[in-house]
Amino acid sequence: MTAAVQGRLMSWEGLLLAILVVIVAVNIGYSPYYLGVENIVNLFQLSIEKIIVALIMTLIIISGEIDLSVASIMGLAACVMAWMFQIGVPLPLGILAAIAIGALCGAFNGFWVAYVGLPSLAVTLAGLIGFRGAARILLEDRAIGGYPAWFNGLGQQPIFGPLTFSIIVFAVLLIVVGITLHGSALGRYIYVMGNGVEAARYSGVNVKRVKLLLFAASGAVSAIAGLLYAARLGSVRGDMAFGFELDIITIVLLGGVSIFGGSGSLLGVGLSIFLILNLRNGMGLANITGNTQTSVIGALLILSVLVPNIVQLTLKRLKGRET
Amino acid sequence: MTWVQRRIRPEQIREFSLLLLIIIAVLVFGSLIDGYYTSRTFNRIATSVAIVTVIGAGMTLVVLTRNIDLSVGSIVGCTAYFTGVQLAANPEFGAMPAIAIAMGLGLVMGAVNGVIVAWGRVPSIIVTLGTLAIYRGILIDYSGAKTVTTDSLPTWLVDLPQLPLFTIAGLEIRAIVVLALIVVVVFQLLLTFFNFGRSFYAIGSNPDAAELVGLPKERIIFTAFALSGALAGLAGFMFLARFGNITVEAGRGLELQVVAAAVVGGVNIFGGSGTVVGAMLGAVMIGTLEQSLFRLQISEFWRDGILGLLILLAVASDAVLLNRLRALWARADMRLVAKPPSPIAREEEATP
Amino acid sequence: MKKLLTTTAALAVLTIMAGGVYAADGKATPGKSIDMVLLPKFLGIAVFDQAHTGAAEAQKELQNPKEVQFLGPTPENSVAGQIEIVTNATTQNVGAIMISNNSGDQIVPAAKAAHDKGIKVVTWDSPIPTAEGEDVFVAQVDFNQTGQVMADMALSILPDGGEFAILSASPDAANQNAWIKAMEEALKDPKYGKLTQVDLVYGNDQSETSYSQALALVDKHPDLKLIMAPTTVGIAAAAKAMQDEKLCDKVKISGLGLPAEMVSYTMNGCAPQFALWSFVDLGYLSYYTAYMLAAGDLEAKEGAKFTAGRMGDYEITKDPTREKGLRILMGPFSVYDKSNVEAAAK
Repeated sequence: MTAAVQGRLMSWEGLLLAILVVIVAVNIGYSPYYLGVENIVNLFQLSIEKIIVALIMTLIIISGEIDLSVASIMGLAACVMAWMFQIGVPLPLGILAAIAIGALCGAFNGFWVAYVGLPSLAVTLAGLIGFRGAARILLEDRAIGGYPAWFNGLGQQPIFGPLTFSIIVFAVLLIVVGITLHGSALGRYIYVMGNGVEAARYSGVNVKRVKLLLFAASGAVSAIAGLLYAARLGSVRGDMAFGFELDIITIVLLGGVSIFGGSGSLLGVGLSIFLILNLRNGMGLANITGNTQTSVIGALLILSVLVPNIVQLTLKRLKGRET
Repeated sequence: MTWVQRRIRPEQIREFSLLLLIIIAVLVFGSLIDGYYTSRTFNRIATSVAIVTVIGAGMTLVVLTRNIDLSVGSIVGCTAYFTGVQLAANPEFGAMPAIAIAMGLGLVMGAVNGVIVAWGRVPSIIVTLGTLAIYRGILIDYSGAKTVTTDSLPTWLVDLPQLPLFTIAGLEIRAIVVLALIVVVVFQLLLTFFNFGRSFYAIGSNPDAAELVGLPKERIIFTAFALSGALAGLAGFMFLARFGNITVEAGRGLELQVVAAAVVGGVNIFGGSGTVVGAMLGAVMIGTLEQSLFRLQISEFWRDGILGLLILLAVASDAVLLNRLRALWARADMRLVAKPPSPIAREEEATP
Repeated sequence: MKKLLTTTAALAVLTIMAGGVYAADGKATPGKSIDMVLLPKFLGIAVFDQAHTGAAEAQKELQNPKEVQFLGPTPENSVAGQIEIVTNATTQNVGAIMISNNSGDQIVPAAKAAHDKGIKVVTWDSPIPTAEGEDVFVAQVDFNQTGQVMADMALSILPDGGEFAILSASPDAANQNAWIKAMEEALKDPKYGKLTQVDLVYGNDQSETSYSQALALVDKHPDLKLIMAPTTVGIAAAAKAMQDEKLCDKVKISGLGLPAEMVSYTMNGCAPQFALWSFVDLGYLSYYTAYMLAAGDLEAKEGAKFTAGRMGDYEITKDPTREKGLRILMGPFSVYDKSNVEAAAK
């Protein structure tokens, strides 16, 4: 990355940090419950599955692609597990099967994108519809619950201090993705591919294999997130996690990751996660409805790109007048 | 063959092939379903496709310029609701004022998108993701979470969806379908024969070159979004007529259907190629599949799965087909390049 | 004699005092400041707004200085949204949560967490199927009776029998599922023998989906004579669909609907009969129940009796339509047809 790009990124993260500080301050001032351990845990728990998937989505978008089917894979994986549980297969086996199916769905997406060359928007759009359909075929209109306590506990009970298993999974994945993106050859390949597929190919990067790997990983992580969601709710339905992909993509884009690929950092996405979680939590405690919350976040997303642009343009104009 | 290759671009062949696919699908379903070839089936498909087609025309304009408009669903909801409220309060309004109100509001909402994308230089996916949420939020606040009821609407509006404009060979063509067709024809002509329309393609296929040539990039992108909004407004009016009861959730999810229709219809998501007719054919293909799967007594839970698979196949076969066609055209072009004159002929020319 | 009088007087005073201690038995203590949350399935549906009106009316009567919080999710995010609202309400230690449950059993972990913290969880309109985490369910009508009423309406619209289909809301809506089961039970009686149910589809309480599903039903079943839609959104959408396709003579619509939304369809014959109850009353009663539970005036156990303001006396009983759970049964159905729908629509 050039110094100019790096400089811009630094300012984006700085902006996010500043907004985060403001939000936290407002929340503390507004609600006495905000700083309690119970609330902080809830803050994460209510959206934990989305932010887990956001981590892997970061890799996909930086590499120049997009995956709209993540929420449907979440639902499908949960349904596979539930269906197998219902017909008597031991739960651990069902869980493994669900993760495998998730990886397979991701690889399916990856095949069409990497080896046939179709645009990922179209392929994963078909996947969004198709995988959700598969989930509904399995469960139809039933809800399947009644899982053993250890499974529900994964999503609901604190196991390490006040932290639940889901939060620990998030933390571990955060570290893994961070190391991959910023400290490994694979991470460099991802940036190069995002900046220009042809250049990447000529540089010796096996573009096809990396893309396939990324989509398979996206599928597997989505499957794990889907299972954690099922554990938190204690019950699985064919339409669970419906529409989650929009929130997930918003989190990544707000983190400064360019939709065209090739730039963005996990630090930005991490800040964006904390920002959005705190914002939602604060608004929730202020009894602001979910719809208004989404509008606020939408406005934040636009302003976060618009304001720096306007500032840059005005600065350029001012500089122009000086010379 | 060379005549064909000189006159027709591969993309147009693609549209013919999509038409062929639709005909094949209809034949296949017709053989599986009793009473398929009826006026009712035609209307079922046509009316459900009409709304998506109108929005699709606007979406095509936007996608051609290498952008996307995800806020169309919310624009449809807002315009349908707002127009409904106005008509309930002023029942003396006729069709024209109602359409004007709907399109006007849609135009304004699209223009907001356009300003932020074109001059604010914010990527369109970000802007329209944001306005998708914001417009929906405005609708919920404005409406106070109330519903527009059919009862409050003037009778001409409630009767509009059933209104047949004319009948061809026993096939009832309804007003709404005609409206959609008019939109498609107008915009297809605009894109093909008018410089302004062709500039959309230029901006999408090579924005830098287009700017160098002097095309007003910002104004064109702004216009694309404004028109997309206006057409979404028109679709909102059609939505209001069709469903009558408008809740604050009206139109949610439409954007995905429209993008799917455009993608299946060959509108390139990277900009620069595709047609309004293509988007319409895409909508017809998806609509036919959906409605026919309904009829086939296939459990509704299977429908989405099959639909996703079919969309994938359509896009895949399309890409493969298009690549083959382009290769064929390229090879033909090589042959069309004049063969260098033989040395003997040149000598004959040189020596009088 | 003096001793007798004194003793009697003392006994009388004691009785009155004892009576005073139990004066809270069945009557609400007004003026207490309790945070209460009214949580519908989602925002944007008229009937839930009516419930809000009823709850606000109750709040004024009870002089609760804290305004009732009317919070709801958006329809496509109903489950996650309801869970989030219950969780946040728990954090804020509200007094009571009144929820029309659209999340089936997926709300149980959140409801239990609230309940364990001492928050009263009162369900209305649609209960928690397993009753875990729930104090009591305020049922608008007896769910079994709903099935009976729907069966009777079907018979009255199709006296010679025929095919009918059901258009429901969300597949996970406890109330609709219970009503449909009850209707299927009621239909086993031989007098309904000529009515056959051919299909059950879901419209998810969304106009467009319900509209398309209604049309699909007609396409799939050419001999269909009636669509029964126990959802106010579904019945209105189905009626419009039949009207648009000019099928009102062939296919009738019935179910549960709002007079204001259905009046034009009843007058033109598309929906000759439908039923409902008062959502305003339901909100009012739910608020009274939740308030009295939170204030300690009422205990959530079988046999407890209380007076709910203008609506009169109620008793908590075991819920006969669920395996576990307590219920308060509100009241009567109203069946609407041409004769009374216009008056009700005002």
